[in-house]
Amino acid sequence: MQEERVAAHLRDRPAQLREAQAQGTKIIGYFPGNYVPEELIIAAGALPLCLVEGGDTPPLEASVPVIPHIFCPFARTQIGERSLKRNPYYDIIDMFVAPVTCQHLKKVAEIWEYYGDMEIFKLGIPHQRDNDFELEYFTNRLRALRERLQTLTGNEITDEHITGSINLYNRMRELLRQISLMRRAPSPPLSALDFLKLNHASFYADPAFMVDILESVYGELKARPQAAETNAPRLLLIGPNISHGDYKILELIRETGGDIVIEEVYEGIRYYWHTIDVNGDPIESLAQGYLRDRVPPAFMRYSTKKRLDFALKLIADFNVSGVIWYELLGCETYDAESYFFAQKMEERNIPMLTLESDYGMAAIGQARIRIEAFIEMVRGGLD
Amino acid sequence: MLELLKMCGFEGVEAASELPRIERAFNKLGITAGDIERGKQRLTRYYAIELKGIREILRLLVLNTVDLVLAREEGKSKIVYGFMIPGFSVFTSALVSKSKEIHAAHLCPQFQIVLGTIFDKMSPILEAAESKWLKSGTVAHCGNVKGLVGLLVQDLIPRPDLLITSGVLCDTAPKSVDLLHELYGIPGCCYDTCQDREISEYPAATKRIISMAAKSLRVVTQRIYDATGVEITDDMLQDILDARKGLATGLDKLQELMETSDPLPISANNQILWEYMGAFTFTIDRTPRAIDAVNTLCEELQARASQGLGEVEKGAPRIVAMLPSHHSDPRQDYVVGELGMAIASTDRVFTASEIATLEDPYERMIWDIMQGSLFHSTQRRIPLIMEGCKRLKADGLLNRYHVGCRTVTGDAFLIKEAVTRELDIPVLLQERDDFDARLYDHEQFKRSLEVFKTMLDKRVG
Repeated sequence: MQEERVAAHLRDRPAQLREAQAQGTKIIGYFPGNYVPEELIIAAGALPLCLVEGGDTPPLEASVPVIPHIFCPFARTQIGERSLKRNPYYDIIDMFVAPVTCQHLKKVAEIWEYYGDMEIFKLGIPHQRDNDFELEYFTNRLRALRERLQTLTGNEITDEHITGSINLYNRMRELLRQISLMRRAPSPPLSALDFLKLNHASFYADPAFMVDILESVYGELKARPQAAETNAPRLLLIGPNISHGDYKILELIRETGGDIVIEEVYEGIRYYWHTIDVNGDPIESLAQGYLRDRVPPAFMRYSTKKRLDFALKLIADFNVSGVIWYELLGCETYDAESYFFAQKMEERNIPMLTLESDYGMAAIGQARIRIEAFIEMVRGGLD
Repeated sequence: MLELLKMCGFEGVEAASELPRIERAFNKLGITAGDIERGKQRLTRYYAIELKGIREILRLLVLNTVDLVLAREEGKSKIVYGFMIPGFSVFTSALVSKSKEIHAAHLCPQFQIVLGTIFDKMSPILEAAESKWLKSGTVAHCGNVKGLVGLLVQDLIPRPDLLITSGVLCDTAPKSVDLLHELYGIPGCCYDTCQDREISEYPAATKRIISMAAKSLRVVTQRIYDATGVEITDDMLQDILDARKGLATGLDKLQELMETSDPLPISANNQILWEYMGAFTFTIDRTPRAIDAVNTLCEELQARASQGLGEVEKGAPRIVAMLPSHHSDPRQDYVVGELGMAIASTDRVFTASEIATLEDPYERMIWDIMQGSLFHSTQRRIPLIMEGCKRLKADGLLNRYHVGCRTVTGDAFLIKEAVTRELDIPVLLQERDDFDARLYDHEQFKRSLEVFKTMLDKRVG
């Protein structure tokens, strides 16, 4: 029921956005990774639109003349999608907020800035966050973003507006968290793929509509009788990126009998573990929430141990018996970190499988064999 | 060995007195008698060792390597390494000038030259890193970071009390420093800024990111104090900066000579030797000898230029090369000269020229660094490269990009497109790892250069 509502909404969404744009509403694009507070965009009376497409090869081919192959397929997809002009979301943006995160997405933003056909705001993300001056830097960049959005939209962004939108997104995060936590049950009420699609929908959909959907999903799942426990191994998925459309690996895992019960993915999944404080200066609260009160991605400095600790907590809380490390080709920080995680998981007798993807189909056959063997091993069938 | 040392500028009493130390260090690094022979051949073939200035620079490089390898056994109680931090040699020089108990160095130029270009022995070190977290293959981890990790995990160099890097352009180095801490207990830290300058915001945005970097660097200074007990004061930094002024002046003169001489007075692969001098650690009292080496080389090259002597024919096509010579493989720039092209400059000197009055010495240092084209975003960098090519009246651009670096590589195709369109000069794209000689296919590279040369000849002709 909710699936159909979401599908219908997303089907109509490009037209809705065009209509809103025609009436003067600005569309603000941004990259995933949970560093761009949509709250500010909504508070400006604009509409946020996350560019999170991936998993397909034509955009990669289209990106070949512009960006070399060592950039991750997600970054190259962004270049390719804009040049292909086949996806309406990539062609509707009035201003793009580029979080300066990893080297890959930083370069995509620079290339778009160089082309000059879209207004860009570069949002510097300090790669360290424990010192006050780093938080202050990010806070000031958010204040600059507020100014820029006001100029672009012609709308004043009041603290009340921001607090209102924080409340909206806090509710969205809270619902996603509650739904996700339901997967701690012996038989999770929804699959990783279903959860991910719901999560991805939140990047495109009207946020108020999305909150309504999530309320309904949560209510329905809560009311559903507990299903019988299966023998599917419970898995944690870790990686830099799962984009909208990059579902092959998830499908393979499901087909081969594995059950991903929780994810720790940087880009592509809306971060839902934190709640933004609504007391005090709202910009400072956003800075604190988006920079500090979260699990750091692998590109952040001194993040490795913190990330391991969080993964171990998820493993314990969700009763996980194996880890799938899914990275994109060319992602240097996650690739380096996978070595550390494999070692630490082995010390704890937690099997871990590392998979790489360039979005192509060529490696899928081999991936299937490796996943099958891994699932068998986690079940205890293989040494 | 003595013959090799002579080629590297060691003479008489010093050669004899340093020999035991050098042998000890070379043994630790696995350099065999066969390697020494190969080293002599490579020095003779690829480097202008007939010039005293080149020999002096090689001597300093060898000594720097030996000092580092033997630091612990020679009684240094504290060791600090910097890695991939432009300008950091000022800090390490301040440290070693302040305390004889400390060894501080900037890695890994000395190893790229001594183990790489002279002995061709970097491969086992790179492989050691690849067996850890910097695997080989399409992920294209940086060979420079592999060098650092390989040296440390193989214990070829002493483990430091503090390892410092910068994340200003790179995420692999900070991640590796973090992993060296988690897996090997090596204390590490990093300084950063945010590269979020927009073209419309210059130079205000530069001030913003400089201020952030300076604060971050002061945190590093505190970490150095915690690790060594030595406080690096602003006055100490200023003293080092003053002492090294002559070095900067000499290096600028060398650059000018390369840019203006026809024929090119020395093969371009020698350039990496003197460019590294700026990244080296010298105590304040040893700095004059480094300056002498550079000035001697200047005089020698000036004499060659005055006599019309050079490495390629007069009137040979003059090209600009992106990035310095290969750091561990002298063949790659050598063959450019062999085919009759003169690399007059690299893009290292194509800097922006924003002016600012800054009181803080940290901000002043970082300001200068941030003017370099690599530190700018694509939209600012490409015009800087084109302006540089125009200024030097380049006949072509050798756009070699270090595939292990996203920052460098990301602009490669756009640079080619812009330079071809705007300047109408040939551009040769060459993908390589600047620190890994294993990925080099000599015949293929030579063939592409021959085609490039034909295009240049047509233009010049």
